[in-house]
Amino acid sequence: MHEIKSTVEKQIAFSEVTRAEGRECIQSEFLSYLSDESKLSVESCDYIFFPKNEAEVAAVVCEMSRLGIPLTVSGARTGLVGGGVPSKGALMSLERLDRVQALYFNTCAKEWRVQAQCGVSLANIKIMVANKRFSDLESSSDQKLLSALREFRLEPMEYIYPPDPTEMSASLGGTVATNASGARTYRYGPTRDWVRAIRAVLPNGEVLEIPRGKYFASTSGKFTIIDTKGQSRQLHVPDYPMPRTKNTAGFYAAPHMDLIDLFIGSEGMLGIITFIEVALCPHEHKCSLMLFADSDEQAIALVESLRSQSGLQLDMLEFFSQKAIDLLRERQTQETAALGMPPLPEQNVAAVFIELPFDPLAEDMNFARLAEAVERVGLSLDHSWAGYEPRELTRFKVFRHALPETVNHLVAERKRQYPALHKLGTDLAVPDDKLQPMWAVYRQELDRAGLQWLAFGHVGNNHLHINIIPQDPEEMSRGLEIYSSLAAQAVAFGGTVSAEHGIGKLKANFLKEMFSERDIARMKAVKHTLDPQGLLNPGNVFSS
Amino acid sequence: MNIIVCVKQVPEISDVRVNPETGSLVREGVASILNPFCEYALDHAVRLKNSVPDVHITAVSMGPPQAKAVLLRALELGADRGVLVSDRRFAGADTWATALTLAAAVRANQPAFDLVLVGKQAIDGDTAQVGPEMAEILGVPQIMYGVEMELMPNGKRLRVRRESETGYQVLESRLPVLVSASKGETIRRLPSFADILAARAKPMDMITADSLDLSEEQLGLQGSYTQVVKIFPPRAQKECRKLEGLTPALACGEIVSFLKQEKFI
Repeated sequence: MHEIKSTVEKQIAFSEVTRAEGRECIQSEFLSYLSDESKLSVESCDYIFFPKNEAEVAAVVCEMSRLGIPLTVSGARTGLVGGGVPSKGALMSLERLDRVQALYFNTCAKEWRVQAQCGVSLANIKIMVANKRFSDLESSSDQKLLSALREFRLEPMEYIYPPDPTEMSASLGGTVATNASGARTYRYGPTRDWVRAIRAVLPNGEVLEIPRGKYFASTSGKFTIIDTKGQSRQLHVPDYPMPRTKNTAGFYAAPHMDLIDLFIGSEGMLGIITFIEVALCPHEHKCSLMLFADSDEQAIALVESLRSQSGLQLDMLEFFSQKAIDLLRERQTQETAALGMPPLPEQNVAAVFIELPFDPLAEDMNFARLAEAVERVGLSLDHSWAGYEPRELTRFKVFRHALPETVNHLVAERKRQYPALHKLGTDLAVPDDKLQPMWAVYRQELDRAGLQWLAFGHVGNNHLHINIIPQDPEEMSRGLEIYSSLAAQAVAFGGTVSAEHGIGKLKANFLKEMFSERDIARMKAVKHTLDPQGLLNPGNVFSS
Repeated sequence: MNIIVCVKQVPEISDVRVNPETGSLVREGVASILNPFCEYALDHAVRLKNSVPDVHITAVSMGPPQAKAVLLRALELGADRGVLVSDRRFAGADTWATALTLAAAVRANQPAFDLVLVGKQAIDGDTAQVGPEMAEILGVPQIMYGVEMELMPNGKRLRVRRESETGYQVLESRLPVLVSASKGETIRRLPSFADILAARAKPMDMITADSLDLSEEQLGLQGSYTQVVKIFPPRAQKECRKLEGLTPALACGEIVSFLKQEKFI
């Protein structure tokens, strides 16, 4: 079915919505709403709205539309590309839509699902699912719901919600709007793979309810949306090919695609996602391993070997370049306990970090395939760190995050002399067969430029974060040029300019590296069909 | 050199919760771990093993069958053998009955021991009594709160740097000796994955009260001089006084007077 009808939910007066008004008041009392993790910030905006339910969201959208006021939407403001920073007009924070609404077992898909408002944080979902305690549901008078909750608790199996972006304070809605991913995307895929239904308030204030598997593009690549007045609009699915990598650049498009996928990862450009249903996945005990290699190239070879080893299931496959380990070792030398880890190996090493299913009390423990993949490239499981207790998994996680923190600290020190300085962090990904050639390009271009740089990140998805750490403005300017050429190379290899951070406001120029003018015009046409006034999230995705 | 390391399985708790109806610790959703101080003790044993030849480490734990997990952890971190001392008759043991049982297990399994290492205390009970009691029962000298250990060149004496209330002391003892470990500068070890796999092939024995030279009256609750009557979390108190409108010098003076008045300094 490619036709879908939008609805109007219960009407709420716009005046009932909690708000802050006036640029001065907002600047002095709501400063944190004018920036996000990208550090992009604006001086002020005219309004901030704090709706607490979908009807209030719709009331704000209708009123802003009537007045022609641009409206930016923010979640937990953990984005890295400035998507939630208002460029003008009004801001709507969805933080008060923070309730889990249901838990049930879907008998067709044979999976447990959670339904929640968009503002619930991933951290809360993680804790609620792990502890099987849903405070929002426990006081419900709905007997069916309470019965599902009891059944869930009685199950001996433990569950997780797999998407794991670094920032777990992110809101569920934010992660759906940006199709967030993380280290475990290697096994579990990005957020998209776990979303089973959404509700979205369209720029005209009407609501679309989109379960997965119900609305598909017609054979001619169209969706028809019929509003409550009977007017229909045709959405033409763009016909560009998607990169063969994980990707957050541009609207998702594919022949016969599911309508829900157009909204997931659209960075809020098409509608405001207010309700989400996600699937849970059985929890397995894990073991974290840091495998040390003698060089970056040997570490990359190890990645290829691990990926090609049949019968070896890894949850994550991450990379630390030799320069990254050097930087961490330097920090450890200055302060022994800084990383909470034993001393890093003294010789030059790179490392590959993996996580894999592991039951410490299993009678039959066979990791011959892992050993084979490691030994194939001349390495050994002896040269590794490993841990499987929950506290050890957390220890490894803290260690992984210590690297970007160390880089940020270094940049902050240099900013004292040059306040405009900032690190340049790439988010490029390429297809599997281009990992080695892309690594060769990184090394050649960055070493030749004589800039301080290092690499880490999701190598299993061929998605490395190259961090260029400039010493001064001149180096930053050269770094930016190199960043552009690296982005062009990634696209030439069939990759993406943004694998997980999205485009937002800061990377809008990169969209042109990846999509032709015609492709971008197709995307804009989709946007225009749903938001003819262009009021929703202005300045995001498309550069002006 | 035969080293015994006593290890205990404890709940990983930073925030103690007590069930008000049963008066017992809430363990639901709390992972069990090797007591960190026991891990520091093991770390010293492994260091000694890495610095002198022919060191054999036996990890001993008294606990329910699931305490096998912490012995596995000890084997991964460098112990050569695990001994689980487990019997329903040990239930309710206080520190004395525990020390008596562990000492009997040491005598039964490794009578020619040179060094017994223990954590300074367990993070659940925090009594810090089992180690010293074991030393008394085994009839060996004891050095508490050790942070550095070195076997003297003649191989017959151990030099220990220990924490004291005012700083550090360096003591030497003839072997055999019992030493308890503090954290000091220790950063917990990480085994390699090969170590984790190899640990599964190391010997792990389980013994019961029948293997120990103890009478029924010395076991568990029967052999305990003390009993836990009630467990309760300490009452959280938050009383504060804010100094406002003072210069830094005056504020410092006020704080010093307060600390003196309350006999903190």
